[in-house]
Amino acid sequence: MMGEDKNNILIFIGALLFSAFLIFLALFIGSSQINPADILSYIFNSSSVSASAAIIIGEIRLPRIILAFIVGAGLAVAGAVFQAIIRNPMVDPYIIGISAGAGTGVMLALFLGVEIAIFNLNSLPAFAFLGAVITVFTVYQLARVGNKLPVLTFLLAGVAVSFILNSMMSFLMVLRTENLQQLVYWLMGSLAGSAWGDIKMILPYFLTAFAVILFYLKDLNILLLGEESARHLGLNVERTKIILLGAASLLTASVVSVSGSIGFIGLVVPHIARMIIGPDHRRLIPLAALFGASFLLLADTAARTIMAPMELPVGIITAFAGGPYFIYLLRNKSKNIW
Amino acid sequence: MKIMLRTDKIKFSYAAEEILKGIDLEIEAGSFIGIIGPNASGKSTLLKNISSSLKSDSGTVYLDSKLLNDYSSIELARKMAVVPQNTEVNFNFNVYDIIMMGRHPYQKRWSGVNKKDKKIVKEVMEVTDTLKLRSKSINELSGGERQRVIIARALAQKPDVLLLDEPTSSLDINYQGEIYDLLNYLNQELNLTIITVSHDLNLTAQYCEELILLKEGRIFAAGPAEEVLTEENIRQVYKAEVLIKTNPLSDRPFITLVPEVNKFNRKTEKKDFKIHIIAGGGTAKKFIYKLENLGYQLSIGVLNIGDADWQAAKELGIEIVEAPPFIDISKAEIKQNKKLIEKADLIILSDLPFGHGNLANLEILLDYPDKAKILFSNLKIKKRDYIKGKAEKIWNKLLEEDENILLLDDKSRLTSEIKKLEN
Repeated sequence: MMGEDKNNILIFIGALLFSAFLIFLALFIGSSQINPADILSYIFNSSSVSASAAIIIGEIRLPRIILAFIVGAGLAVAGAVFQAIIRNPMVDPYIIGISAGAGTGVMLALFLGVEIAIFNLNSLPAFAFLGAVITVFTVYQLARVGNKLPVLTFLLAGVAVSFILNSMMSFLMVLRTENLQQLVYWLMGSLAGSAWGDIKMILPYFLTAFAVILFYLKDLNILLLGEESARHLGLNVERTKIILLGAASLLTASVVSVSGSIGFIGLVVPHIARMIIGPDHRRLIPLAALFGASFLLLADTAARTIMAPMELPVGIITAFAGGPYFIYLLRNKSKNIW
Repeated sequence: MKIMLRTDKIKFSYAAEEILKGIDLEIEAGSFIGIIGPNASGKSTLLKNISSSLKSDSGTVYLDSKLLNDYSSIELARKMAVVPQNTEVNFNFNVYDIIMMGRHPYQKRWSGVNKKDKKIVKEVMEVTDTLKLRSKSINELSGGERQRVIIARALAQKPDVLLLDEPTSSLDINYQGEIYDLLNYLNQELNLTIITVSHDLNLTAQYCEELILLKEGRIFAAGPAEEVLTEENIRQVYKAEVLIKTNPLSDRPFITLVPEVNKFNRKTEKKDFKIHIIAGGGTAKKFIYKLENLGYQLSIGVLNIGDADWQAAKELGIEIVEAPPFIDISKAEIKQNKKLIEKADLIILSDLPFGHGNLANLEILLDYPDKAKILFSNLKIKKRDYIKGKAEKIWNKLLEEDENILLLDDKSRLTSEIKKLEN
């Protein structure tokens, strides 16, 4: 047991160091050449840097890195939570249509022009949350057969609902043609144009959802035993499920409202984290958050540099990585994939 | 005695179908109860109503004199643990973590594992012999090991009542005994109230103090195994013919299914060849099953009531001339036997022993010199003669005078010899 704990600590230290390295790397890489010395001096003492370099680093690269971190962590954690509740590693917010639901919420808000701030809170993530929750509920009801939730019908219901929502989004997009390219990029999942304002907008929602999930880590483990067993162990299964589904939806919604639908992070990352640290959510969720953050940061850095000065939507890159992984999981479903 | 669990007229329906039609139970603390019954009799549903997995449509359940519905889920988990039918866990938690989850009803959200949790988990691992599995993944275990781990997790809840739904249905026979031995130990030593649901009548009868037999959502019989498991009850509830013996090791009833060899054989035409068998003392039971299956029309007599051959013939529904045991065969019975012999194409005389009571069964052959006969001769007549040579004398006379006799040394050739005669 002691040896195992030590191992786990090493894993976390490794993951943290890797994330720090990636952040550092991402600061240096970009379409505009900046003297690395400037970057270093910006980090340690921002006064001695040229104004243009300071703007690129402080107002473009840094918020984007932080946002990639938040979005990646959010999607990975949401994926891990959905997987535990559905008790299947094949689901993530993108596949079961929750990202599309959140996206549709955002589109509707933009289309109707109801971008109102209440108590300093931007309401865009709230619309995304509404869309996500309605979608989760719909997919869940569609997929349920009696008391059971067969994974196949769940996936199919998710795909079907995604289709409908995606065409709704396309329709709204066609109606609102003025900034089409920006919307298309958003739709494909992109962190382009991230600003401190985006971070400020989603942070309250993100932190709330994240805190709720951290509060219920033990319950996630119990849920994995199956609902009947969980009930016999004294867990209020229905309430726990609703709270956790709500929190994971809010998490998804908050990140989708700034980044659009970035797929497969919620699928791939929890799975890899589980292979490394095991199924216990008290360790899995923090590690999945770190991995998800690193993964998206890496993908986003690639997205903005591969074809510089042009930028790819990062969703394309994550889908290229995640799609094959999904197929691999499908083919291996008879084996132990948890 | 304290009543641990009481149900009062509980009813439960799935959709339109009423599964439980008013169940009244009273289970004492520290008892070991087995709920049995055929498929769809409602036994698993009853267990789920008791464990609060399903809410009864009407009626009430009291656990330790308190209404089941008044328990919070945490309180209930501390009082009652359940081992469900499907215990498959398809992710690789290790055994220790799985068992520690049994402490969930006692742990606060943020507090870690405390000393008491550790102590209790260690205890239940010792009791269930799962200590050596502690760092194995639950997926690597055999069915029996996994079941012990799940029972250990249930014990970690420190319950007063343990409910198990088909605890051995997917296990090999060695593990079945192991699980019930463990339950027996828990019941005896820890005074745990145990209720199992099982379709294995023999295992349940072996281990459970009292049985509850369900039929179509009602209690058909309840009480000690020997009162509940009677041939008549099984016939009525399961529509099956069984023999009930007593297991000499445990003094509990033991059930054997009576084969109904002709149940699926009705289409095969009965042969137009009648055989009359003279036997007794179990000398015929082996070959009459076979002959019956081959479609011969059989009759047998005279047999003592209760004799092993008589039982076999009864089970097969063969025409029998029967006589009360311990007295000589009477004139009336001989007459009846003659009637059957007259109709027969062949007479078989098994290697039965002769005494006063059944000498008539041998003598009768003298009256039918023209009938084909097969006499078993693997045992010398001298050895089977318990009336000072009388039987031997008749035997020898038969062999001298009768030309239609086939002596059969090798019983395994019986059917081939009959086939020859048939043609």
